[in-house]
Amino acid sequence: MAERALRILPQKKSTRIAWAASLGLSLLLLSLPWLVRLDGHPHADWQQFLGRFHPLAVHLPNGLLVLLPLLEVAGSMRPALREAAGFVLALALASCLVAVSLGFLLAYGGGDAGTGVTRHLWGGVVLTIVVLMCLLARPHRYAQGAGYAYPVLLACMLIALVWTADQGGSLTHGSNYLTQYMPAGMKRVLALGAVPSASFYARHIHPILDANCANCHGDGQAKGGLRMDSYELLMKGGQDGPVIVAGSSSKSILFQRITLPPDHKQFMPAEGKPPLQSEEIAWLKAWIDQGASPTLTKLLGVTIREELPAAHIEPVGDYSALMPEIQKMEQGQGAKLKQVSANPSDGMILFTVDAASTFGDAQLAQFQKFAPYIVEAELGRTAVTDASFDTLKQFTHLRALHLEETKVTGAGLPRLASLSQLSYLNLSGTQVTAASAASLNAIKSLRQVYLYNTPAQPAPAASRAPQPKEKNAP
Amino acid sequence: MKQHPLCTDTEHAANVLDLAIPVQVKQEWAELQTRRHFLGRAGKVLGWAAAASLLGDRALLGDNYPAAGAAGGDLLKLTNFAPKAKRAIYLFMSGGPSQVDLWDYKPNLAAQFDKDLPDSVRGSQQLTGMTTGQARFPIAPSHWGFKRYGQSGAWVSDLMPNMGRIVDDLTIVKSTNTEAINHEPAIMLMNTGNMNAGKPCLGSWLAYGLGSMNDNLPTFMVLQTKLNTAENNQPVSSRLWSSGFLSSEYAGVGLRSSGDPVLYLTDPNGVDREVRRKMLDAVNEINRQTYEELGDPETNSRIAQYEMAYRMQSSVPELADLSKEPQSTWDLYGPDAKEPGTFAYNCLMARRLAERGVRFTQVYKRGWDMHDNVTKILPIICQETDRGCYALVTDLKQRGMLDDTLVIWAGEFGRTVYSQGGLSQDNYGRDHHPRCYTTWMAGGGVRPGITYGETDDYSYNVVKDPVTVRDFNATILHCLGIDHNKLTYKFQGLDQKLTGPVPASVVPGLLA
Repeated sequence: MAERALRILPQKKSTRIAWAASLGLSLLLLSLPWLVRLDGHPHADWQQFLGRFHPLAVHLPNGLLVLLPLLEVAGSMRPALREAAGFVLALALASCLVAVSLGFLLAYGGGDAGTGVTRHLWGGVVLTIVVLMCLLARPHRYAQGAGYAYPVLLACMLIALVWTADQGGSLTHGSNYLTQYMPAGMKRVLALGAVPSASFYARHIHPILDANCANCHGDGQAKGGLRMDSYELLMKGGQDGPVIVAGSSSKSILFQRITLPPDHKQFMPAEGKPPLQSEEIAWLKAWIDQGASPTLTKLLGVTIREELPAAHIEPVGDYSALMPEIQKMEQGQGAKLKQVSANPSDGMILFTVDAASTFGDAQLAQFQKFAPYIVEAELGRTAVTDASFDTLKQFTHLRALHLEETKVTGAGLPRLASLSQLSYLNLSGTQVTAASAASLNAIKSLRQVYLYNTPAQPAPAASRAPQPKEKNAP
Repeated sequence: MKQHPLCTDTEHAANVLDLAIPVQVKQEWAELQTRRHFLGRAGKVLGWAAAASLLGDRALLGDNYPAAGAAGGDLLKLTNFAPKAKRAIYLFMSGGPSQVDLWDYKPNLAAQFDKDLPDSVRGSQQLTGMTTGQARFPIAPSHWGFKRYGQSGAWVSDLMPNMGRIVDDLTIVKSTNTEAINHEPAIMLMNTGNMNAGKPCLGSWLAYGLGSMNDNLPTFMVLQTKLNTAENNQPVSSRLWSSGFLSSEYAGVGLRSSGDPVLYLTDPNGVDREVRRKMLDAVNEINRQTYEELGDPETNSRIAQYEMAYRMQSSVPELADLSKEPQSTWDLYGPDAKEPGTFAYNCLMARRLAERGVRFTQVYKRGWDMHDNVTKILPIICQETDRGCYALVTDLKQRGMLDDTLVIWAGEFGRTVYSQGGLSQDNYGRDHHPRCYTTWMAGGGVRPGITYGETDDYSYNVVKDPVTVRDFNATILHCLGIDHNKLTYKFQGLDQKLTGPVPASVVPGLLA
């Protein structure tokens, strides 16, 4: 065992020099973050100028280091590729050193600090040292057939590479860059996603800051000592003091800097990132002016549409073969079945207004054959009764159902539970009660339910006097 | 199956081109044409023939509407994409409501009473003959205060306390602007997309493009509000609901504000419904023969209109019978609504028409043309309209109809910030102002609770997000599922459309 360990120690003088140089370089790399500390203050412009080439330069070692193991594996079949691997490894080391240097200049010159930057920096340093060790171990693997040091190092290198690249990507694009558009089901499996909260800050302000600011002012980096990834940190401010003055957007540095002309040196978001949208600026202004509260749920002057996800819409199937029958049906009883649009998969609407008084359950039952193609049924003021629900429950693609001023009662409503796409239900002027309407809670897709002029109607709020929110003398 | 005008043309083209028809028949057909018919058709026929040989059958029909009979009769009537609104109610405020006094709040103006409007604001604008001779243009701040309402915090004049209650349902457009500065061209432009008379109006285009939801009532109806002589009224004529070069089937049908809603709809003494039916059958037969001989599509329109009138004999009395409206209706629309022809009555009637599947209802309210005496007239007209507009939007909303009904409130232009004629602390006048005026929409397809566009400190020029009349109309069509570039009709060598040949665009900022 000891003999075996000895065998990989340097034998020749030139090799010894190489080992010594490598050791020195590694120590230098390891001590760099201690020698020149990232203090969160920007430094010389030339450092930033060079530093900004880091994102450019960093892709070369990335590519080479992924290529390297592939060449080694392929080299077992084609020796020429194995020879090339040595060159690629040397080149990768050189480009690693360049990328690390530029990265350090970027962080130090640009005044970056924070755990994300620190992690990325250490990742880069460790990766470079591992690559250096690969370079030393490789000749032993092939010249002396010594052990598994080289393959193990290669595996370590790949792990370090992926981890460091992920840290760097999060700094540039944000930590949710890869997961933002992940399918919802996949997110659920991976247990990703934020905890919803009702406050205006949580629903609207935090997401704006998170998307536009937290890359540089967050967990990863904290430029200017400012972090905006939580309410407390945001209000605490940066090294120059608070950035938000509750109650006055004009005195708040944050607001001043996002509303400068975009070409201004102080403009935020910096580095050519897209400016905030006028709507987002308006929300921030209203939120700050009205006290920058973490708990307030509504702001005067700000209306934000309900963010209920749009009901899932499924296109209907092909019904072209049924067209002759549809026409015959129309001529027979006066009700009309019309395409929603020129696109047949948008489905059809059932209009009955022409024949309302004579259109009853029996007439509706005749449309059973076309049920899966009907997306909206206008049955208001017709003679349909609760018996119609047995037909209606087969309208699997129904999105809007009008039953206003009909004889239906609440008793039939549970039978609509199978309509998974129903988002609009009008029961105005029927005898539906609050108790029976409760069964509608089972239909998750419902967005609008109208119970005007029914026993279920909530107490009238219409007779209120106009209530201006803010007075202004003429 | 109703004949689409476009298809009628191609049919004739096909007949003439068909070599299997004996020569004498073709001659007879040609002789039956009047000179105008002949000249009118000959060009088209040659054009169709050339186009057909070059492009094949599809070219004749265009790609916006599928060919007749492709999948069934009425399929010619289709939207281009799934619409948000099925129908629209357009409250037209004829005369030009003052945006300065109603919607476009400018608190800084109070301090500038009787100061001259800076020349830089007016620029090189040509004014109307009514104020161009004025020595100075003194700023007239609004006589009334404004308040902020609702979650949206929109500013509304104290003249319209009821409108304040529904601002969160409105899409207020402060940056509407027009090219016309006088009533007739401006009102034509708003209604037909062209300052010159003769083009089809918005309602006709919708009737043509969307077709009817209820065969017992016209697709497009017009309600005029009774004249109030205390106001300054400009004439409103049937040119505004004309179908232009579209078939006259698509013209607006007016309901009278007093007496019988439609004249001669009741059966004359001694003529019962059955006799009327027999008479109509005979007339229709004669018309059908005329059509077969001459092939004028207007003959078919006439047949359709006789039939519509017959069906309206029962549908209109039911429509106009308000006895079944509950007390809550009258509480909402106010006591005016009981009197036929008032604005509130027309708003209620517009809701009833919408319930009965009428695609497009246009309510006209005249009297907004206040060149002088604003402080006396404006409260009168606001008193008359504020409650009705509020009641209509509220009523549609509580009945679940605002989701698929688009309500539009607009005049043909706005009014100047400077006073026309004498300015005193108590009174002033305002001239026509095309450069900016405020309109609003509510309901299906538009985004509630927003104010779109900004004007300068004098409510004179648009400084952000201008909306031209073309864009305004394109947006309305969009809400109803129509691509304004695809709803076309070939006439005088052009693919005519509501928005005209100058490019127009749907305003995405207004859409839900």
